[in-house]
Amino acid sequence: MATTTGVLARPTSYSGVWSWLTTVDHKRIGVLYGATAFIFLLIAGLEAGVLRAQLARPNSTIVDGQTFNAMFTMHATTMIFMAIMPMSVAFFNFVVPLAIGARDVAFPRLNAFSYWVFLFGALLMHTSFLVGQIPDAGWFSYANLTSRTFSPEAGLDFWAIGLLVMGASSVAGALNFTVTIINMRAPGMSLWRMPVFIWMTLLTSILLVLAFPVITVGLIELTMDRNFGTNFFNTSAGGDPVLWQHLFWVFGHPEVYILILPAMGIVSEILPTFSKKPLFGYPVVIFSGIVIAIMGWAVWSHHMFTVGLGPVANSVFTITTMLIAVPTGVKIFNWIGTMWGGSLEFKTPMLFAIGFIALFIVGGLSGVSHAVSPSDFQQQDTYYIVAHIHYVLFGGSIFGIFAGIYYWFPKLTNRMLGEGLGKWHFWLMFIGMNITFFPMHFAGLDGMPRRIYTYPVGYGWEVYNLLSSLGYVLLFVGFVMFVHNIFHSLKKGQVAGHDPWDAPTLEWSISSPPPEYNFAEIPHVRGLDHYWIVKREARAAGQPVPGPEPHAAPGSVHMPSPSYWPLVTAFGVVWIGGGMLIDVGWDYIKFPISFVGGLIAFIGVVGWANEPASAPDAHHGGHEAGHGAAH
Amino acid sequence: MAHAETAHHAEATTTGLNHRKLLMWIFLGSDCMLFGALIATYMVYRGQSIVGPYPVDILNIPVTTISTFVLLCSSFAMVQALAATNRNNQRGIKIWLLATALLGFTFLGFQVYEFYTFSVVEGLFIGTNLFGSTFFTLTGFHGAHVTLGVVWLVSLFIVAFKGRLGPSTALDVELAGLYWHFVDIVWIVIFTLVYLIGGYDAGPVAAGVLTGPIPSVLPV
Amino acid sequence: MGFLPFRSRNVTDGTPGSFRQVSRPGLSRVPPLALLAAMAVLALLVACSPQSNMSTWETFGPVARGQLHLFNVLLWVMVVVFVLVEGILLYAIIRYRRRPGQPLPHQTHGNMPLEIAWTIIPTILVLAVGGWSVATLFRLDQPPASAGKPLEVVVTGHQWWWEFEYPDADGAGKVISTANELRVPVNRPINITLHSDDVIHSFWVPKLAGKMDVIPTRSNKMWFQADATGTYYGQCAELCGVIHALMKFRVQVLTNAEYDTWVAGYGKAPQLSADALKGQAVFQGAGTCTVCHTASGVDNPAVVDGRVAGFNSGGAIAPGPNLTDLATRTSFAAGTVEPLNPDNLRKWINNPNDLKPSTHMAGRAKALYPDGSTKVTLSDVQVSDLVAYLMSLK
Ligand code: HEA
Ligand code: HEA
Ligand code: HEC
Ligand code: CUA
Ligand SMILES: [Cu+2]
Repeated sequence: MATTTGVLARPTSYSGVWSWLTTVDHKRIGVLYGATAFIFLLIAGLEAGVLRAQLARPNSTIVDGQTFNAMFTMHATTMIFMAIMPMSVAFFNFVVPLAIGARDVAFPRLNAFSYWVFLFGALLMHTSFLVGQIPDAGWFSYANLTSRTFSPEAGLDFWAIGLLVMGASSVAGALNFTVTIINMRAPGMSLWRMPVFIWMTLLTSILLVLAFPVITVGLIELTMDRNFGTNFFNTSAGGDPVLWQHLFWVFGHPEVYILILPAMGIVSEILPTFSKKPLFGYPVVIFSGIVIAIMGWAVWSHHMFTVGLGPVANSVFTITTMLIAVPTGVKIFNWIGTMWGGSLEFKTPMLFAIGFIALFIVGGLSGVSHAVSPSDFQQQDTYYIVAHIHYVLFGGSIFGIFAGIYYWFPKLTNRMLGEGLGKWHFWLMFIGMNITFFPMHFAGLDGMPRRIYTYPVGYGWEVYNLLSSLGYVLLFVGFVMFVHNIFHSLKKGQVAGHDPWDAPTLEWSISSPPPEYNFAEIPHVRGLDHYWIVKREARAAGQPVPGPEPHAAPGSVHMPSPSYWPLVTAFGVVWIGGGMLIDVGWDYIKFPISFVGGLIAFIGVVGWANEPASAPDAHHGGHEAGHGAAH
Repeated sequence: MAHAETAHHAEATTTGLNHRKLLMWIFLGSDCMLFGALIATYMVYRGQSIVGPYPVDILNIPVTTISTFVLLCSSFAMVQALAATNRNNQRGIKIWLLATALLGFTFLGFQVYEFYTFSVVEGLFIGTNLFGSTFFTLTGFHGAHVTLGVVWLVSLFIVAFKGRLGPSTALDVELAGLYWHFVDIVWIVIFTLVYLIGGYDAGPVAAGVLTGPIPSVLPV
Repeated sequence: MGFLPFRSRNVTDGTPGSFRQVSRPGLSRVPPLALLAAMAVLALLVACSPQSNMSTWETFGPVARGQLHLFNVLLWVMVVVFVLVEGILLYAIIRYRRRPGQPLPHQTHGNMPLEIAWTIIPTILVLAVGGWSVATLFRLDQPPASAGKPLEVVVTGHQWWWEFEYPDADGAGKVISTANELRVPVNRPINITLHSDDVIHSFWVPKLAGKMDVIPTRSNKMWFQADATGTYYGQCAELCGVIHALMKFRVQVLTNAEYDTWVAGYGKAPQLSADALKGQAVFQGAGTCTVCHTASGVDNPAVVDGRVAGFNSGGAIAPGPNLTDLATRTSFAAGTVEPLNPDNLRKWINNPNDLKPSTHMAGRAKALYPDGSTKVTLSDVQVSDLVAYLMSLK
C-alpha cells in the first residue's frame, strides 16, 4: 500500500480526454464546473418553458398535474443545486487562486473530487427521468407529502439521495476554498487587501460548510423514513411534519445567501473596473457581507409564517428578517457610490452588473414585504413569492454570473466575447425578465397560488400569465444568442491580451490564458487593487506598464500532478448513493450494493493517501513548492 | 490520513497554520452542525412516542456509564500517542495508538451489545416509535464516527509499525487526535442529554408539539 | 378598479353599515414622479383584468382588511425607496458615463458619515414598519371580545377536498358536517380549527383572511369575519399532491335568517321521488357509495376513522365528502365543477376524472371504475336514479 505509484500508474497525459478526467488544475476544474452547470441551466430553463407553455392560457392541457409538479420541482432543484451553485463554484475555482496570487487551491485533488461527485450526483438525480419517476414535491419537498404513503414512487428517493451526494461535493469544495483563502494568499495580501469577490467566496464557503449538514440530517431522516421504516415524519406515529420545515429552512435561508453572495462579489469587482474608481466603502461592503452571513441564520422561519407558530415567533422573525435589508441596502448604496463621480464604461460585464443592482432592488423590496408577516399571510405560496424568487435569483444571481462570464472569459481564453451580441443578450434578458416576472407580482396579489398546473377563466390571471409566457420567449432568444456568442468568440473572438479591461486585481497581471502554474514568481501584494497601483505608478513614472512575466523555465515550478484517485473515490461515493436507489422489491439488498460503492471509495481514499501530491517525475520537475499546492 | 514522504517540508502558509489542520478544524465545525441537527431532532421528539418502549424501560445507565468512561480513557490514550510521536518514542507511539483504537473498539462493542439488547431482547427497533427512530439514528451516527476513527487509528498503527511516524509526521497523528477528541466530546453531550437527562422519560408527555388528533395508524 | 392599492371597491350588496372603506394611504406624500411611474405600470398591466375572484385587494372583513392596510402602507414605502434608489442609479449612469479624453476620475474610497446615514435611515424605517407589523399581528390574532361569540368550525383538509364540521351550529349543540362550501352568517366572527388526515394543506380565502396551514398532528387556529353576504372563493395554498390546483372551495356568507334556516333543515330526511328512492337503494347497495360517503347527517367518528385508515393504507376506500345537503350547494368536487345540476352529476358519476382528473373517487373505487378512468360499471338507469337521489339531498 505504501508504494508511491499505488495500484494505478500515475496518469501522464496533459491533453486529451484523460487529461480532463484526471486533472487537478483549478482552472480546468473551473471550466468543467462552469460547462456542466451551464448545461444544467439550459435544461432547467427548458423545464421552465414547459411551465410557461402550460400556464400561458387558462384550462390548458399541454401537461397534466403530475408532469407539471415534476417540472417545477426539477426546474428549481436543478437551477439552485446544479446551475447557480456550481456556476459560482466555477468562479471560485477559476478566479480565487489567480486573484490571491496562489498556484492552485490548497487541496487540488479534493477539488477534482468535488467536481466529480457533483457531476455524478447530478446525473444520478437525472436518471429519475429515465426511470420515469421524477421528483415532484417541490424544491423544498415538505413532509409528509414525501412519505411512501403519499409518494410511493422512487422520485423522492432520487431527489433526497441526489441532494445528499451533491451536498458532499459542496462541503468538500467549500472546505477547500476556506483553507485556500485563509492560507494561500500571496505575501502582502492581508485580509483587508483581499478583493471583495474573495471575501464573498470565503463567507459563502463558511455558510456552505455550516448549512449543508443541517439539510443532510433532514435528507437522511427522509431517506430512512422512506426506505427503512423510521418515523421521523410519520404522522401516525406522532412524527411532526413541521420538523422537516425547520431543518429545511435553517439550511434554506443561508442557502439563498449562498446563491447571492458570490454574485455580489462579482459585481463588486466589475463596478470599480468599469468606473475607474476603487470600490466605495470597501470595509463596509465586507462588513455588511459578514453581517448578512451571520443574520442569515436568524430568519429561517419567515418561510413558515403560515405554519401557525404563533404571533410571538412570527414577530421575532418579522423583525430579524426586516433588519437584514439594512446590510443589503448598504451594499447597494456603496455600489452606487462607486459609480458616483466615476468614468463609466458600459461594456457588457458592466451592463450586467448594473442590471444586477437594478433588478435586485426590486426583488429585495418584495422580500421585505414578505417579511411583514401579516401581509405575508396573503402572499405566502402565491405568485407574488414566485416573482420575488426570480428577481433575486434571476435578476440577482444569474445577472451577476453573466457579468462574471463576460468579465473573465478573456482571461480564460484570451478571446473577448462579442460586444454586439453581448449587448443584445443583455437587453433581451433585461427586458425579457421584466416581462416574464413583473406581472407575477400582480397575479400573486390577485390571488394566484403557486404550483397550480391549471387555472380557470374568470380569476383575472390570464393577462399576467400570457405576458409571463411571452417574456419567456425573449429570454429564450437571449440564451440562444449567448450560446452562439460563446462558440463564435472561442474561435473568432478578438484577441484579448492579458489585461483588456485595465482591471485592478492580480489575475490580470499574468498572461491570458494563465499558465498552468499561474504565477512564475509569486507577486508581493502592495495594496488593495494591487495591479492598479503598479500600473499607475509605472505610468506616472513614464515607464512601460508591467505586463505578464515571461514564462517560467521548465522545471522551475513544482505543480501537483494529475491523479485518478479523485475520480475513483467520487465514483465510489456516488455508487453508495446509487445503491440505495436500487429497487428490486427487497429493501435490504440496498446495503450490499451500497457496500460495494463504499469499498470502491475506500480503495480510492487509500490510493489517494498513498500517492504524493506531485509525482517525483512531474512534468515541470524540479523542487521548491513555494506557494504551490501542497497536498 | 496517512501521508507519504514527499510532503514533509514545512508549508509556507499565510497564517502559519497547516492546511490540513485548518481543514480539520473547519470540518469539525461542519460536523458540529450535523450532530446539532441530529440532537435537535432527538430533543424535539423527546416524550412524543405514542407507544413504548420508552427510555425508562430500556436505557441501562450504569452500563453506558462504563462505556462512556472507556471512551474518555481513549482520549487520554490519544493524548499520550501524540506526545509519544512528538518525542519520537517509537514504542510509545505504537502502544498508545493501539490502546486508543482498542478502547474505541471496546466502546463500539458496548454499543453493539446495547443495540442488540434494545432491539432483539427488548423489542425497540428503528421503526417501533419515535424514540427508536431518533435514538438509533443519533447514536448510530456517533457509532459510525467512532468506527471511522478506529479504522483511521489502525491505519496509523500500521504506518507506525513501518517506523514512519515521528516528530516530522506528528501532524498525521494530531489530525486523528483532533477528530477523536471531537467524537468523544459529542458523546459526552449525547450521554448527558439522552441518558442522564432524558433517560427517565416515560410515556407520551402531555404538552408536546402535537396539538391535533393523530391520523389513524397505518398497518405497516 | 379594485386592483389599485389606493382604491377599494365600494361594496353595497352586504348588510348595511357593516362595511368600512379601506383607508387610502396619503397620496399627497408620494412624490408625483413615483406616482406617475407606478400608476403607468400598474394601469398598463391591470387594465385588461376586470374581475378577480381571489384578489387580495378587495377585502370583506377585518382580518383581510388589516392585512391589506399594512401592505398598502408598505407598498408605498417600497415605491418611494424604489424610485429614489433606482433614480439615483439612473442619474449616476447618465451623469457619469465616460466621455472621450476624460482623465482618471477622483479616487474616493468611501465616506463614513454617508455610510452611517444609509445604515441608520433604513434601520429606522424597517423598525417602524416592523413595530407596526407586530402590533397588527397581535391585534389580528384573536377576534375582539366586542365582536360577540364566535361560531366554531372544524375544517379538515383531504386530498383534494374540504370537510367542514360545526360542533355547535345553532348554539344549542347541533352538529353539522358538510363539505366544500362553508356556510357562515354575516358579521359574526368565525373561529376555524384546522386538521388534516393526510398531508399538509393550507386554508385560504383571500377576500376574508390570509391563509393558515392545515397540518396533520396539529390544530392550527385562525378566524375571520365577513362584512357582506355573498360567495367568496377559496383555495388550498400548499402543494398537496397531483391536483393541488383543483382543491378549491367556497365560503357562502348568509344572512342570519338564511343561516338559521339551513342549520334547521340540515339532516331532515329528504323527500324522495320514486326514481330517487331507487337511487337511494343504489347508493346504499350496488353503488357502494356508502363505503366512502354519508348522506344522512353527521358521520359516525368510527366510520370516518376507518375510511382514513383504509385510505392511508392504500385500500379501495377514501374519505369522501358528506353528501347530506349536497343539493343545497352551488358547486361540487371542491369548487371545480359548477353549477351543481343533474347533467354535471351524471358526468361525475360516469367518470369523475372527466371533470376533475386524478380524484381519489375514481382512483380508489375499484369496483366502480376498474382501471381508474373508464366509465362507471353501473347502468345508465342506475346512474340516472342516483342523480335523482343526489339532487333531492337538501
Ligand atoms: C438569492 C436569493 C434570495 C435573496 C438574496 C433573498 C433576499 C430576501 N428575501 Fe427571499 N426568498 C428566496 C431567495 C432570496 N431571498 C427564495 C428562493 C424564496 C422562496 C422559497 C420558496 O418558497 O420556494 C424566498 C422567500 C422569501 C420569504 C418567504 C415568503 C413566503 O414564502 O411567504 C421571505 C419572507 O420574509 C423573504 C424575504 C427576503 C428578504 C427580506 C430578503 C433580503 O435579503 C432582501 C434585502 C434587499 C433589499 C431590501 C433591497 C435593497 C435595499 C435597499 C435599497 C435599502 C433600502 C431598503 C429598505 C429601507 C427596505 N424571502
Ligand atoms: C436560480 C433560480 C431560478 C431561475 C434562473 C429560474 C428561471 C426561470 N423560472 Fe423559476 N423557479 C425557481 C428558481 C429559478 N427559476 C424556484 C426556486 C422556483 C420554486 C419552485 C417550487 O415551487 O418548488 C421556481 C418556480 C418557477 C415557476 C412557478 C412554478 C409554480 O409555482 O407553479 C415558474 C412559472 O413560470 C418559473 C419560471 C421560470 C422562468 C420562465 C425562468 C427563466 O428565467 C428561464 C430562462 C431560461 C431559458 C429561457 C433557457 C433557454 C434554453 C435554451 C436556450 C436551450 C437551448 C438548447 C440548446 C442550446 C441545447 N419558475
Ligand atoms: C372510494 C371512495 C368513493 C366511492 C366508493 C364513491 N365516492 Fe364519491 N367521492 C369520493 C371522494 C374522495 C370525493 C372527493 C373528490 C374530489 O373532490 O377530489 C368524492 C366526491 C363525490 C361527490 C362530490 C361531492 C362534493 O361535495 O363535492 C359526489 C356527488 C359523489 N362523490 C358521489 C358519489 C356517488 C354517487 C358514489 C357511488 C356511485 C360515490 N360517490 C362513490 C370518494 C368516493
Ligand atoms: Cu391541499 Cu393543496
Ligand atoms: Cu429566506
